[in-house]
Amino acid sequence: MAFALHAPRVNNNDDIVQVIAFRVAVGDFVKQGDIVLDVETDKAIVEVAAENAGYVLKLMCAVDDKVAVGSVLLWQGETIDEPVPETAVVAAATGGGNARPTAKARALLKELGLDAGVVPAFGDRLSLADVETYIAAHGIQRRDHIPAVTVSARESVPDVAGELVDLNAEERGMLITVSWHRDHAAATYLEVEYDPKAWEDHAAAYASANKLMLSPLLPLLAYRYVQLAKANPRVNATVVNGKRFQYQPVNLGFTVQAGETLYLTVVRDADALETQPFIEALGEVQRHAIQRKLNREETSGATLAFSSMARWNVSRHIPILPPYCSLMIAHAAPKGSGRAVLGASYDHRVLSGFDVARLLVELAKPPG
Amino acid sequence: MNLDRNAIKAAVRAKVIELAKNLGMDASDIGDDDIIPATGYIDSGAILELVVWYEDAYQMPLKQEEINIDNLGSINSMADFVLKRKG
Repeated sequence: MAFALHAPRVNNNDDIVQVIAFRVAVGDFVKQGDIVLDVETDKAIVEVAAENAGYVLKLMCAVDDKVAVGSVLLWQGETIDEPVPETAVVAAATGGGNARPTAKARALLKELGLDAGVVPAFGDRLSLADVETYIAAHGIQRRDHIPAVTVSARESVPDVAGELVDLNAEERGMLITVSWHRDHAAATYLEVEYDPKAWEDHAAAYASANKLMLSPLLPLLAYRYVQLAKANPRVNATVVNGKRFQYQPVNLGFTVQAGETLYLTVVRDADALETQPFIEALGEVQRHAIQRKLNREETSGATLAFSSMARWNVSRHIPILPPYCSLMIAHAAPKGSGRAVLGASYDHRVLSGFDVARLLVELAKPPG
Repeated sequence: MNLDRNAIKAAVRAKVIELAKNLGMDASDIGDDDIIPATGYIDSGAILELVVWYEDAYQMPLKQEEINIDNLGSINSMADFVLKRKG
């Protein structure tokens, strides 16, 4: 879910701040504590730091704008594709931050745990309407609208000698992914076994005809998956705020193990590609992963995903759903067993077991 | 960067042997004209690593369509391709 950065209260007497400069742009990833913009009051120019790490999704004001203290300055998200709530920048209020709240306003402030000082009053007193305008502008939800999502409490360190170490970018990405799977998706799993011979013969013929260095088996499987998703749009969707969000493109996520790092590379608009261009596009992002040269387009925006651990002779693996993906297929083919497995983690909020099983059975057969 | 043909072949051979060893395979008897993917010594993941190493070692970014059996299929092919590209 997107989160907001609010205009700070610089001093008690100023309910308005002026935006002097932005130091970030939409799409930038900022760390907690990074300076993202400068604001000015009558008394000082203040650097505003990001309260949380995340991608900048939308700037809600412009340089030279005068905005009310507490207004949303920008939205951030854990992924670059998160939807931004519909909010309006709160225009500079006429009333001061110290306007006395009415009884109804006071009750709502107490319910939401808000300080009356951060809410601009548009009259002599801080009214219920003023508070409701403020919470609407900031995307603050009343308690009866807050979904029953478990929020992790701050943890204690284990009672064993050790030290806390900051996560690197890839590790943090993994944590975000796993947390989304745990906290949002209703994730479950099923698998089908199949005889891999038909696919192996199909891939071998394709490789020979096209003089390929790399086996096209997994790319061809992935391409077939994309085509099946195109024909069955329900699998290319997620849930946002209680509604199905139907993706338009099929952006295929494909895992690549590069040394110690697992990447989810992304081929965007995969459904618009013919077979060979898709294989080339997938080969290119795989190479970029090994070179550690993936760009942002190649590491975000997956709408469904594919993984294989056949290389490590794994017989089954139950993958984690990437954020906002309802389906991730895991291929396995234990050497010498004469069988292969297509497993799928799926979000039961979006897909049923029947939806997934039907797709896997189709995927187990090469085209034609 | 040593652009002597024998040096290139030796470097490619060493890399193939190293990648194969990581997969528990012994590729020390690989022939200069053996088609690398067909030997079974290294899988597609290792072939990708070989290609990335090759691009870096010879400062020679490859287009995806250049990664094929004709250009890179054997140790000899890989040496010839470098020399052809480097003039």
